[in-house]
Amino acid sequence: MTIDLVHYLTVSAILFTIGVLGIFLNRRNIIIILMSLELILLSTNINFVAFSSYLHNVQGQIMAMFVLTVAAAEAAVGLAILVTFFRNRGDIAVDDASMMKG
Amino acid sequence: MRLLKAPDMRPVFNSEGLGDLMNAFLLQYLPVIIFIGVATVLGLGFMIGALVIAPKAPDTEKLSAYECGFNAFDSARQKFDVRFYLVSILFIIFDLEASFLFPWAVSLFDMPNGGMHVAFWSMVTFLVELGLGYIYVWKKGALEWE
Amino acid sequence: MTVIAIAFYLLALVTLASGLMVITAKNPVHSVLYLILAFFSSAGLFILLGAEFLAMLLVVVYVGAVAVLFLFVVMMLDVDFVKLRQGFANYLPIGLVVGLVLMGELVAISIAVATKGAAAGNQPLVATAAEPNIKMIGHALYSTYIYLFEAAGFVLLVAMVGAIVLTLRTRPNVKRQDIFSQVTRRRKDAVEIVPVKTGEGISE
Repeated sequence: MTIDLVHYLTVSAILFTIGVLGIFLNRRNIIIILMSLELILLSTNINFVAFSSYLHNVQGQIMAMFVLTVAAAEAAVGLAILVTFFRNRGDIAVDDASMMKG
Repeated sequence: MRLLKAPDMRPVFNSEGLGDLMNAFLLQYLPVIIFIGVATVLGLGFMIGALVIAPKAPDTEKLSAYECGFNAFDSARQKFDVRFYLVSILFIIFDLEASFLFPWAVSLFDMPNGGMHVAFWSMVTFLVELGLGYIYVWKKGALEWE
Repeated sequence: MTVIAIAFYLLALVTLASGLMVITAKNPVHSVLYLILAFFSSAGLFILLGAEFLAMLLVVVYVGAVAVLFLFVVMMLDVDFVKLRQGFANYLPIGLVVGLVLMGELVAISIAVATKGAAAGNQPLVATAAEPNIKMIGHALYSTYIYLFEAAGFVLLVAMVGAIVLTLRTRPNVKRQDIFSQVTRRRKDAVEIVPVKTGEGISE
């Protein structure tokens, strides 16, 4: 029973789908949406690292490192926007965020 | 582990190719797994021990929130200051900066094709970029506690 | 190899199950905790793939920092999370349909790539004591990918400045301790001696 590349790719595909589903299901709760984005980025990281390992090429791991950097920056700025939005509105319902003016 | 004495990861016994190499590689993580196992057993043991041994006599008065003798006004959850959050963001940023330092520190002195100077100055530039950010944070007063 | 297979299936199962719990848990604090579990077990997957440094990075950066940030925000915002779950059941059928189609496509592509692609039949790359994983990363990162590395620095800089611009509000009427001005304060800055004539007092 050997573990091949296809096993890792399947895990990554399912995790990606779970992330997309999370965005679908929790359309009103932006914190869960941000967490789903983290799951999606994690699945791309698994993909990168699996290919890097099975192609015997370290470039994929370097890309995964950059994805990690961008994901952390995205979480920081996204949550900062969320905090500011909450401070202005007193609520985090995304439906009300359609008006950007004023 | 590798710092103490790097075990040779080529299979010592009858080599069968990469499978043995992988096993030898994963065998290095055996202490980690043992640690996790011990931690799990200890944690679960204490929790189950508390469940079994501790005396329990719940009643409504004991379980309700205590607030100076009268019923609680609202939930115990309280908003706390945004400064905690700012400190946490700055922690993430500098955490990532430090994580870029690890491979640099390990590989600087044997870069291929004599790329040591380039590698060194690229890291200096990186640190200057984040140092500028640090000066900005300092001047803005985001680290001050009032 | 069976030990590796057991470890893989265990870690993959935990990753996927906790990923599913992230999006379905009622309490967002539980979601964050399941997110931590998902990251931790996929760090285990990375170790199975031989990417030790990235596994460490995942634990340090995500479990140590990003999850704490999410926990802070969930606990900082005093929001009625029950109201935000409205519409969960409405979107479930269409979400499941789209999700299953997407997953089918991704798995089909994965199988095609893994069985016919350049990596077909390969074994995972394992670091040796002479060339550990972190060293391989360092050699490529600080020579070929220098520009991307500097760009990552700029991304971090922009994130830092952006987060501070967005969230920092200095409150006007708060007295702060300013040690420099307190220590350098002299008598003539604080005290003024006015000669007062008897019986007249001081105006002002």
